[in-house]
Amino acid sequence: MNTLPQQLANGLLLGSMYGLIAIGYTMVYGIVQLINFAHGEIFMTGAFGALTVYAYILPDGTSMVVAVPLMLIGGGIVSVLVAVGAERFAYRPLRQAPRLAPLITAIGLSLALQEVVRNFYPGADKDRSFPSLDGTHDLGSITITDADIFLVIAAIVCMSGLAWFVRKSRTGRAMQATAQDPDTSQLMGIDTNRIIVIAFAIGGFFAAVAAVSYGLKYGNIGYRMGFLMGLKAFTAAVMGGIGNIYGAMLGGVVLGVAETLASAYINHIPGMQQLGGSGWANVWAFCLLILVLLFRPQGLLGERVADRA
Amino acid sequence: MTETTETPKTPAAAPAEQRGLIPLPLAAARALLLVGGIATTASTFLPWTWTSDFPGDLTVNGYPGGLQILTLVAGLITVLFALASYGVRGLGWLLPARNNAPLVLTALSGFAVTWYTVLTIAGELGGIVNWEPGTYIAAVASLLPVIGALALPQDATDTTKEALKAYIAKPDRIPAPQATAPWIQRLAITIIAALALTVFAYGIDAEDELFIGFLIVVVFTSWALHSAGLFDRFSHLTATNRSFALAMGFVAAIAFPFTQTNDHYANLGVNILIFGTVALGLNIVVGLAGLLDLGYVAFLGVGAYTAALVSGSEFSKFSGVQFPFWAAALTGAAASLVFGVLIGAPTLRLRGDYLAIVTLGFGEIFRIAVNNMDGVSGPDITNGPNGIPSIPDLSFFGFNFGDSHDIAGFTIGRFANYYLLMVLIMALVITIYRRASDSRIGRSWIAIREDETAATAMGINGFRVKLIAFALGATLAGLAGTVSAHVTYSVVPNPYQFAGAAPPNSAFLLAAVVLGGMGTVSGPFLGAALLYLLPEKLVALQDKSLLAFGIALILLMRFRPEGIIPNRRRQLEFHETGQLDVPETTTLTDEPAITKAGA
Amino acid sequence: MRFGGLTAVRSVDFTVNSGEIVGLIGPNGAGKTTFFNCLTGLYVPTEGTVSYKGTVLPPKPHLVTKAGIARTFQNIRLFANMTVLENVLVGRHTRTKEGLWSALLRGPGFKKAEKASEERAMELLEFIGLAHKRDHLARNLPYGEQRKLEIARALASEPGLLLLDEPTAGMNPQETRATEELVFAIRDKGIAVLVIEHDMRFIFNLCDRVAVLVQGEKLVEGTSDVVQADERVVAAYLGEPFEATPEDTQPATEAESTTSTKGEAQ
Repeated sequence: MNTLPQQLANGLLLGSMYGLIAIGYTMVYGIVQLINFAHGEIFMTGAFGALTVYAYILPDGTSMVVAVPLMLIGGGIVSVLVAVGAERFAYRPLRQAPRLAPLITAIGLSLALQEVVRNFYPGADKDRSFPSLDGTHDLGSITITDADIFLVIAAIVCMSGLAWFVRKSRTGRAMQATAQDPDTSQLMGIDTNRIIVIAFAIGGFFAAVAAVSYGLKYGNIGYRMGFLMGLKAFTAAVMGGIGNIYGAMLGGVVLGVAETLASAYINHIPGMQQLGGSGWANVWAFCLLILVLLFRPQGLLGERVADRA
Repeated sequence: MTETTETPKTPAAAPAEQRGLIPLPLAAARALLLVGGIATTASTFLPWTWTSDFPGDLTVNGYPGGLQILTLVAGLITVLFALASYGVRGLGWLLPARNNAPLVLTALSGFAVTWYTVLTIAGELGGIVNWEPGTYIAAVASLLPVIGALALPQDATDTTKEALKAYIAKPDRIPAPQATAPWIQRLAITIIAALALTVFAYGIDAEDELFIGFLIVVVFTSWALHSAGLFDRFSHLTATNRSFALAMGFVAAIAFPFTQTNDHYANLGVNILIFGTVALGLNIVVGLAGLLDLGYVAFLGVGAYTAALVSGSEFSKFSGVQFPFWAAALTGAAASLVFGVLIGAPTLRLRGDYLAIVTLGFGEIFRIAVNNMDGVSGPDITNGPNGIPSIPDLSFFGFNFGDSHDIAGFTIGRFANYYLLMVLIMALVITIYRRASDSRIGRSWIAIREDETAATAMGINGFRVKLIAFALGATLAGLAGTVSAHVTYSVVPNPYQFAGAAPPNSAFLLAAVVLGGMGTVSGPFLGAALLYLLPEKLVALQDKSLLAFGIALILLMRFRPEGIIPNRRRQLEFHETGQLDVPETTTLTDEPAITKAGA
Repeated sequence: MRFGGLTAVRSVDFTVNSGEIVGLIGPNGAGKTTFFNCLTGLYVPTEGTVSYKGTVLPPKPHLVTKAGIARTFQNIRLFANMTVLENVLVGRHTRTKEGLWSALLRGPGFKKAEKASEERAMELLEFIGLAHKRDHLARNLPYGEQRKLEIARALASEPGLLLLDEPTAGMNPQETRATEELVFAIRDKGIAVLVIEHDMRFIFNLCDRVAVLVQGEKLVEGTSDVVQADERVVAAYLGEPFEATPEDTQPATEAESTTSTKGEAQ
């Protein structure tokens, strides 16, 4: 089980989940230069949206083949609504405000969303169980579950869809233009507000996909799940070069692999015997972020931007 | 106190387009205010219910109790303002701008607290049968001033909504105060400090219904004073007598434990001071230098854990080691400083947003790390989730902080001892804040916050001064942490997280700074006091306090980003259209100080 | 200096002597401000150096200011929410050294330094005529006074060379005239001035020497008369096809990667 290929696969899977969430950070940041701290909570609400579909809407015993797509739709609707609502009612009024204002709003939003779920979603003050897909497959020396297969397929489909959308579609090109220079794009007839809403919506949907994969893989979800996942996904976005969608995915994968390998192998290093295990994984992920910021602040795929005088 | 001798406007002198929302002659409106105020005051001497089951015992004839005292106070304030509107000599200073808003708001204060009481009596005791004649009198009497106030003439507006808004608006221009003798100014400051202490001591002792009544009166009365322009006058007063005002504030803070008979309330006091002091440290980082530090509480934790480790607690890894407090405080502050530099150095070179996320990460990592360092999942240092309990009480020169002491006939309990120690540390941090902000380094922090490119072009090494601000903030948090470790007997990982049910957590501290007012000295204390007391006193809020924080942060940023106590500079920054606020005098030493410290 | 594939400034060799007012003109997009940003360390030149009084300056804005080169910005960049006096005091940053400790301890040295700084700042405010507005917030000043304040803030760093980026942009003729007087007065203090400007009359009245920058390269340099007489300048401004080679263009092989910016005073 704990062979190197298995660890690499685990890291890759975890990383694709980070990457899917990181897309939301990176797209929003690329267009409005805002760190949407509440994105982790958008991921969390997506998970609860999907759970609602499964536990309260679908009849008991629905086959997972039917249930999963419906849960994806339910989670997606919730996440997109939350993301778009946040943009419309919390961030948009602050677009001209000093830099600190939207950041503080984002923190407030993140707290409020967590607490709304904890206080008002039935049973959400503790972890709630989520239908898991735990059928296993052996591929040579590695074992993966059905949930992992779902995650890989979902990540590939989402990423290629996004790549196509940004490069080829009219809206995608408008999006790139807005990211370059919002004022000029507006003068060119692009509805900047619409572009921003679309960026939030795409981010929200990707977060919901990640949330469903998370639930299927780990079998339970909680109101605090968004905090650490969001933090890590942001780390991934920064590592990959914030504003760059491929960077977000790459950063996610690098982070996931690094974290998995660190928790599996770092205790073999003399003097660090006690620093292995999953308890320290987050610490290593964070140290990696600091290192990346020290040596490549623009991220793996990012470009350095100069301030205009 | 300034006395205004000018006669109030008569109806004849009022421009034609002025009219009241409720059509009544001005004389009747004024009379209603005064008579209603007096009647409300008088009604509190009657019994309001027959049973002493209701908290505060409202049954006694001729002696107000519980919520009745609040009604009494609100009624008296209404009477004072009503008399001032008549132009009674000696009260003119209450209404410098002679506007209606203070009258409306004081009337509302009496009305709200009386009706709250009356309805609670009916609600809690089961119906209006529990009302006495006094209750009816109070209910009617408190309504009269509201009717009177809304009948006061006001510039005509198009809609009722605008008219109502105009009734509670603060006028744009408050006439400059007349010059007064310095001793009168000092007397005024002394009286205000004493009043503030009384109000605070009353509020901290109040429970349940009484606390809600207290809040009603305080909120409406402060709003009334604000709309009358008295707060502006007050900040002007403190600005011209800065050292005296600070000294009086300090004396009032020291006097607080002597007003308390129950050490539990001194405990609330010490916690407010700890969180307020930590929030003030955060204010250097956020308010002055404009750096968003989301892991601030981790620095508090570093200080607390360091102090606990060297406290001599038998559960500490170094249980043999017992530093004297000054050494422990310095060690704790130094440990926080080291972490501050380690976190700040790589991130402060980058855009500000990265700092927010790295500090958020650091805050979380700190908690995870101390949770794991229990000897099983990690090195054996912090005892894991159990933390380090039985931290011994401090002892200075034979003065043991754990024991009660009798000072001049007052018993000072354990928490009161720590409270007094915290007052000293608070004074230290306030001095540091004020001195740092009014200096070359403080100016460069503000310059960096305003425009980093221009600041570096003026020769400021942005990275260096930001690192100093960040490290200073971390050090002060570490210092406060060392005291908090002793106050709470034990340190455990849980409180040191980003958001949690109990303070301190980074979200709480940030909310305190933002709510109170970024860049001000008094703001973080006010914010910490409110955010700590409200969930503590209102049990219904306890479970939802984080939800309330979150919503409060969103609404504040949207509608009042400068916080309750605005820093003038900040206020202009957030409201782009803000018009100039040019100092009236050109006394060289005082005016810039106002801009800097806010209040 | 190149941005991606675009070379904004190339092979500009340029010297300012002490006590001299030098003008830098050129059509929009000629690279004047980019040249300034290279001089002040805001941009790191792809190649080339900036030297001042014989020493090469590191490309860090605060070190450039410390060495004695101060600047103003094309779009005014005052500290809008600080008072007029505080703005100038921030300019004094490099000439004072009181750190956090002395600010906290408030020893006699600190008080003396603060007092001296304030006196110096007030002198400058007198000099530009804003002393009576010392406690106004910078954002509340009228446009012309904001420009003046920016100059005072730059002067507060006691520069040997002052760089003015379009100091008269948006000014009426009287204000422009007043700015001219101000620049002469600054020169009389022994400070060399380098001005970017679009207003030809302003430049030719003011400057001892004028350089023309076209498409990132220096076209002509000389006295006002020489430059005014040069037909290539007229051509460049009128947008006629420009075929003549700039006088110090490098051979083609070197040109694509060369940036040599040199600002020298004394």
